[in-house]
Amino acid sequence: MPTESNRIAPEERLVNLVVALMATEQGLTKDAILTSVSGYREQHESGASKDALEKMFERDKENLRGLGVPIDTIGDHTDPDDLREARYRVPTAEYELPGDITFSPAELAVLNLAGGVWSESSMSAEARSGLRKISALGLDVDAPIIGYAPRINLREPSFAPFQRAIEQGRVVEFDYLKAGEESPQRRRIQPLALLDYEARWHVYGFDLDQDAERTFLLSRISSEVKITRHSFDVALREGAGDKALAGLQEVAARQSALVEVAPGTEAALRLSRRGTPAEQGIRVPYVDVHIFADELASYGPEVRVVEPATLRAQVIARLRRVVARHGDADTEGCEG
Amino acid sequence: MNAKQLLATDRAALILQLVPYLIGKGEVSLAEAADEFDVTVEQMRGMVEKLTVIGRPGDGGFWQMANDLFDIDWDLLDERDIIVITNTVGLERTPRLTAREAAALLAGLQLAATLPGVGESGVVQGLLAKLARGASSAPAEVIVAPGEVDEARVTIADALQRGVAVSFTYQAPDREPTTRTVDPVKVHIASGQWYLQGWCHLRQSMRTFHFERISDVRATDIPITHGGEPVPGLFEASEADAVAEVRLRASVLPLLSDFLDPSSVGGEGDERTAFLRIADERSLKRLAARHAGDIELVAPTSARHAVRTWAEAGLAQYVSSNEFPSGDAG
Repeated sequence: MPTESNRIAPEERLVNLVVALMATEQGLTKDAILTSVSGYREQHESGASKDALEKMFERDKENLRGLGVPIDTIGDHTDPDDLREARYRVPTAEYELPGDITFSPAELAVLNLAGGVWSESSMSAEARSGLRKISALGLDVDAPIIGYAPRINLREPSFAPFQRAIEQGRVVEFDYLKAGEESPQRRRIQPLALLDYEARWHVYGFDLDQDAERTFLLSRISSEVKITRHSFDVALREGAGDKALAGLQEVAARQSALVEVAPGTEAALRLSRRGTPAEQGIRVPYVDVHIFADELASYGPEVRVVEPATLRAQVIARLRRVVARHGDADTEGCEG
Repeated sequence: MNAKQLLATDRAALILQLVPYLIGKGEVSLAEAADEFDVTVEQMRGMVEKLTVIGRPGDGGFWQMANDLFDIDWDLLDERDIIVITNTVGLERTPRLTAREAAALLAGLQLAATLPGVGESGVVQGLLAKLARGASSAPAEVIVAPGEVDEARVTIADALQRGVAVSFTYQAPDREPTTRTVDPVKVHIASGQWYLQGWCHLRQSMRTFHFERISDVRATDIPITHGGEPVPGLFEASEADAVAEVRLRASVLPLLSDFLDPSSVGGEGDERTAFLRIADERSLKRLAARHAGDIELVAPTSARHAVRTWAEAGLAQYVSSNEFPSGDAG
């Protein structure tokens, strides 16, 4: 990949900028940066317009901040909005991993296991990048923890935009098909936390139209997630994960189904582990009526729902759909 | 143009990580560094070469002097593919984690904390605090709800660490329960479900067991003898698998990724066709009923018939009742 002599690759320019801004105590002015830092200097010397160079500098700053590089702007004390004479620097203490953070060999072994849980998702690359930074500390690590292969599944494309919106404290909009409703509704929320509960991803946030906290299943989002310009106070995120978790646990605690199971079957085995014996069968807690109905339908004649009626109706509807889709047309002549 | 910009930013991120890595290593082969950074050997060579034109700005507009730039031992690189950094001009310390890197590790730790023998040691709590403090900005909270760790999980994990066989009752769907003695090799957690892989003394081969179907577990004092045998992937296809042809909605394809070969998927839009591989043909009826209406078994005919019979038998339980609901809405 040859580059022209006066065209410096953008990644070179970005790293040169970081080096320059970390090497200065009092900060560099924009002029000093554009005329001395390699990558800008060459373009400046070959006659690029000041406007274009300044725009490039603004983009570079944003991209570096996106990488976690802190760039301070030291403005005019008398007029903080006047950035003409502003100086820029990267405070090393905020750039570098704090020197007092070290990891024991046992901690690193656990961390390596934790970093490997994300199969085939963008989070996998993030975890590896994080581990790389920590391994660059050159610390001793215990032998790998063998015998365990924990995995977190993440297939929902909406995860990444929600994560970005939570980081930046921005309101999001999306279409959501609520359980039991015919068509999706547009929702506007302040997203506060992401939650993997019973192997399903949820987003927890403050619903601006309902004026209350709500939890949404990512698999029921039927549109792209739009990150709006409206921001919210990120202090709202405090403790959101615990609240989301407590909320789902509370639903499971107060919502249960009464089912009869045929002894010795898969249904009996799986459901009795989660439930408690009742006079007429087993009481099994559940969070989402549709997800539970999917599971119960899979057991066919091994389980019969006594109550609630909504769950029973859902299971019956599913079994009917299965019968309808497996009609005789394709098996003509094969049935006696 | 945006994509190119992103790529350059990603490459810059790698270079920022490369310097402390090389300093920490002292001397490292191109191949090892490439592996660590998930790039090809040639890409790593390119990154290292690029490093030598990066540095501090020259004084007062003069050209940079040699000691203003990063430098490497060129002879070692050219002749032996070894990287040694010989001059640094900054970036020596490892950067903080980004919010997203921290979030990815923090979530992984929550899952690791549920593993018997890993979670109880207090190591995880310390790590959670360190990662949070080592991030450049507050990560989005990503919570992994802890699953229940029962005695069976603890017993099996303990036997695995001690290298002894376990014995338990195993009840696969549609089969009679059997008593198994197994050399435990690996515990998998996938989609919230726990699986044990191990050498089954009864079947004389590596087998996978779903934890929910295991009961009456006890550790034996029989040392394991087949721990070194190759372990297949959790859902790896086997010659003995049953193959079924299905019609299905595009939306359920990702849910079946463990069972279907992507190259077998045909059709366009919402209605697709595919071939599923499954260890026991009798399980197909359960799979089809779980995704009611979204999956249709086409072949083999026996499986299609079994699905229908299964659902009809399920429905019959309600038909016989006096309060048979008439509609879907309940």
